[in-house]
Amino acid sequence: MERRVSTVISDNISRLRTEALERIAAAPSMEAVDAVRVEALGRKGALAQFSKDFGKLTPEERAEAGKALNAAKQEIEEAIERRRLGFESVALAARLEAEWVDLTLPAPGTRPGSLHPVTQIQQEIEDLFLSLGFTVLDGPEVETEYHNFDALNIPPDHPARDMQDTFWLDGGLLLRTHTSPVQVRGMEQFRPPLRMIAPGRVFRNEEVDASHEHTFYQLEGMMIDRDVSVAHLLYFMKILLTSVFRREVTVRLRPGYFPFVEPGFELDIHCLICGGAGCPVCKQSGWVELLPCGLVHPNVLRLSGIDPEQWGGFAFGLGLTRLAMMRYGIDDIRLLQSGDLRFLKQF
Amino acid sequence: MKFSYNWIRELVDGLDAGPRELARLITMKTAECEGVEEAGAHLDAVSEARLLEVEPIANSHNRKVLLDTARYGRRTVVCGATNARPGLRSVYVPAGTGLGGRRIGTAVIDGVESDGMLASGAELGIDRDQAGIIELDGPFDPRPDFLIDVDNKSLTHRPDLWGHLGMAREVAAIFGRPLRDPADMSLLEDGPSPVSVDIADRSLCPRYNALVFENVTVRPSPVWLRWRLEALGLNPINNIVDVTNYIMAEMAQPMHAFDADKLQGNTIFVRPARPGEHAAALNGENYALGEANLVIADAAGPIAVAGVIGGSASAIQPASRRIVLESATFQAASVRRTSSQLRLRTDASIRFEKSQDPANTVRALARAIDLLHQVSPGIRVAGGPAGDRAAPPSLPPIELPLSWLEQKLGKSLGSGQVRDILEALGFRVSPASAGVLAVTVPSWRATKDITGKHDLVEEIGRIVGYDAIEPKAPVIAVAPPPSQPRRELLRSLRSMAAAQGFTEIYNYSFVNEEMIARFGFDPSAHLRVLNPIAAGQTLLRTSLLPGLFRNLELNSRNYSSFRIFEIGREIHPLAPGELPDEIPHLSAAVVSRDDTADGLFELKRLAECLAPGCTIEPAEARSFEHPRRAAFVISRGEAIGRLFELHPSLGLDGRAAMLDVDLSRWPEATARNVKYQPLRRYPTSAFDLSVIVGSRTPSMTIQNLLASFTGPHLVQIEYLRQFVVAEGSLSLSFRITVGAPDRTLQSEEIPAIRSRVIEGMRGLGYELRV
Repeated sequence: MERRVSTVISDNISRLRTEALERIAAAPSMEAVDAVRVEALGRKGALAQFSKDFGKLTPEERAEAGKALNAAKQEIEEAIERRRLGFESVALAARLEAEWVDLTLPAPGTRPGSLHPVTQIQQEIEDLFLSLGFTVLDGPEVETEYHNFDALNIPPDHPARDMQDTFWLDGGLLLRTHTSPVQVRGMEQFRPPLRMIAPGRVFRNEEVDASHEHTFYQLEGMMIDRDVSVAHLLYFMKILLTSVFRREVTVRLRPGYFPFVEPGFELDIHCLICGGAGCPVCKQSGWVELLPCGLVHPNVLRLSGIDPEQWGGFAFGLGLTRLAMMRYGIDDIRLLQSGDLRFLKQF
Repeated sequence: MKFSYNWIRELVDGLDAGPRELARLITMKTAECEGVEEAGAHLDAVSEARLLEVEPIANSHNRKVLLDTARYGRRTVVCGATNARPGLRSVYVPAGTGLGGRRIGTAVIDGVESDGMLASGAELGIDRDQAGIIELDGPFDPRPDFLIDVDNKSLTHRPDLWGHLGMAREVAAIFGRPLRDPADMSLLEDGPSPVSVDIADRSLCPRYNALVFENVTVRPSPVWLRWRLEALGLNPINNIVDVTNYIMAEMAQPMHAFDADKLQGNTIFVRPARPGEHAAALNGENYALGEANLVIADAAGPIAVAGVIGGSASAIQPASRRIVLESATFQAASVRRTSSQLRLRTDASIRFEKSQDPANTVRALARAIDLLHQVSPGIRVAGGPAGDRAAPPSLPPIELPLSWLEQKLGKSLGSGQVRDILEALGFRVSPASAGVLAVTVPSWRATKDITGKHDLVEEIGRIVGYDAIEPKAPVIAVAPPPSQPRRELLRSLRSMAAAQGFTEIYNYSFVNEEMIARFGFDPSAHLRVLNPIAAGQTLLRTSLLPGLFRNLELNSRNYSSFRIFEIGREIHPLAPGELPDEIPHLSAAVVSRDDTADGLFELKRLAECLAPGCTIEPAEARSFEHPRRAAFVISRGEAIGRLFELHPSLGLDGRAAMLDVDLSRWPEATARNVKYQPLRRYPTSAFDLSVIVGSRTPSMTIQNLLASFTGPHLVQIEYLRQFVVAEGSLSLSFRITVGAPDRTLQSEEIPAIRSRVIEGMRGLGYELRV
């Protein structure tokens, strides 16, 4: 019996589909896949040829054959797409593989520099006091005798002038021996209540060696208000030290003589090197003198036009240079002003 | 000042704290102790000894000595001292004793076994006599002691603490023990004195008392007295001088002994020196004096510089038989001025410049009577003290409100506790009104130290102990601190410079003439230091560059390329006596061994980061600048600094580019007033042009010309590149972007602008590659 045309077409489509799928699967390159596409799916391709024979079919048969044809087309197209994606990902992988870079090479351009260790400590302490409502003031490095001594209750011929060896300049001027004159300038500029700190460079006429410098850095602090007590001073000093050393430090307050405060104190901390047991750094005492402070002397307030019966205050002076040396374990003070990058690049 | 532990124990009854504990408490409550050292530990081991036999040793200057020692029986030693003689009483040091840093042993010397040694006064630490072995004419009873070293600075305000009695009073108060007063006023007589005192100016000499002694024997002091002085570093001289020094060390009252028979007339004058007068002093110097110097004089002239040093002509001699003992107080400032003028600081002047207590002078004379009787048997006091004994004007009692005291300390106290502390320190206390004490200041604290109630806060606080005060946060109004834009600027500049690769350095404010000579600066334009210690400290810098140059020299040895910066102040003198102008500057440098101008452009970039919008304009080079690599940094039309390469004649290895900017003229970043521009809504177009120029035409000149010819539609002009066209001529390429804010430019407008620019440039004689 003669086979029905529709069955023949259907068989041919099926055979061609199988053949095309096999060739696509076996294609070694995208070009070979594309060749299969042209042969199978192109306008003059094999599947297109079949549709020419559709005229011989009954409408029912035609519909059936058309469905089969479309299904085969779609299957082949999907197979081609899968292979294309496959070839592309292999190509991408190969390209990426080839793009290896040595990221251990140095970055181009200059390395960042660094701030001086004293600057770093100074800025830390400035930030702390700013957060506590203190303002940061500046004063001149060349001072008058009045601001450096007289206004701080150190009149001429007072033996306390010996406590600070002074560099004298032309015209009766001097290089400030402490940052305390900025207290006076602060009180002249602002009326109480007043909270201020004044970091800066100070000078003492001393021979320089590993532990003595003629130029060093202090940070002065002062608070003037209606009711200021030793207990308040202790509160701020405790906050300051905890912040600077980033841990609780053991302190002791003992009498110290500074003409601009009364009572005057020396605040000592337990030696950070030996923890209080005694070592060469603390001269075996277990304590390191860190911070002279006290309640502002009424004469100092009076000289700056503030009534000591109405106002009181505390003041302190922190050695920034000493602090930097303690924090970084610097054993020669001269390094700080040496300008030697072998030292400065470490911070 | 050194304090003898034993001496303090003699003055404080029942003190049982050890020397180190005592030093700790003195530090916590009175003055800073810098250390405790043991003195004379060997004195526990030594023994009095009588020399029995002294025999020569053949061919040696040494002699063999047989001793009878009090503690060790008979001993034989070899001794070289010429004063060794039978019958002499001296001091034997047994083998095994540490003495002056060495250990005494047993040794065979010149064939004789020597077991220990005989010692001199100096070897024993009793005095400074090295001439021979010590000769005893009394008991040898010095005991080992501990010396407590107190920082002189912490005694600046305490005239009373310059003697053991003052410190003992503190110790007595700290321990709640009774204080023993060594002065027995009943020893003073009332009769007239053989001498009289004439004080020219009471303000310079509040008190001058003198006591005359007769039938004096001048000889070495007993061992106990020599030991006490020597241990404190006071040189024993003779019994009379030693007593004055002893009283100074005990009662803080400096005294001086004159040989009464050497004085001219019976009046002691206290007066300013006359012009041209000299004082031949005990130290062998002859001081020229003037009216600013107070002297003690007899009828013939100065016999002492008041409060500083005695004269040599009236000094105590072995033959002195009558003495005048001076006990006085002088104005602190006057003594201090004279002492600094003569460059002579003495134990007396150091005490007088602290304002000594006038009421102490007669007490010290009473103490002297007691001591001189002990050391100069047969001595007689001739009459009473000369000079007026009127009490100095005393301060009215200080009113101390207890609530105020508690507010200052931040701690509550009982009124009984306050009263006990003040009385133990010698204050007199009585109730003034409810809650208020009337406090009378003792004379030894009243000269300068204690002037008001604020001083009493310290007296109470330190004895109570500051460790008893709890830290407490104040109650204060919350308010932002006043803003400090200049400080904020400096901070941001520092951070930016560091981020750009620059390391911050600090240089001294000092320069010297050699440093500034390289830069051609005029030394007379600098403030001068009048008392420099080192040669590097003679002038104050008017520029950061000489200091920075030193940094470049130093670091060039270790680095082939580096970047540094400093923010510091230039100090420019104004009128004499007026505060100078202190101008903050930022100076930076890039050093490189490469033969390029890259460093200059790095610094230009730094300047642009720091001062956005600044421009660089060529400038006439200064002597230390590369003649063709110097420029101004311009911000808002004002020159705020310079950018340059260092002249090679300064001798640096490699090239150093430098930036030096005046921060007082620096625009404040925070003050920049930025007004937002709406984003462009219509497209822009760009075209490139290349202009042929001479090789030294600044690109900015061409760029400005191109911009001006482009006209109002210019959006942006951008430098692209340059290349050499021929010898001495260069092609500079720019990209010009044009547009309009309110429309798209018509297609024919853009070529029209381009042609206008080209023609404009050609009109000025420039050749363009188009």
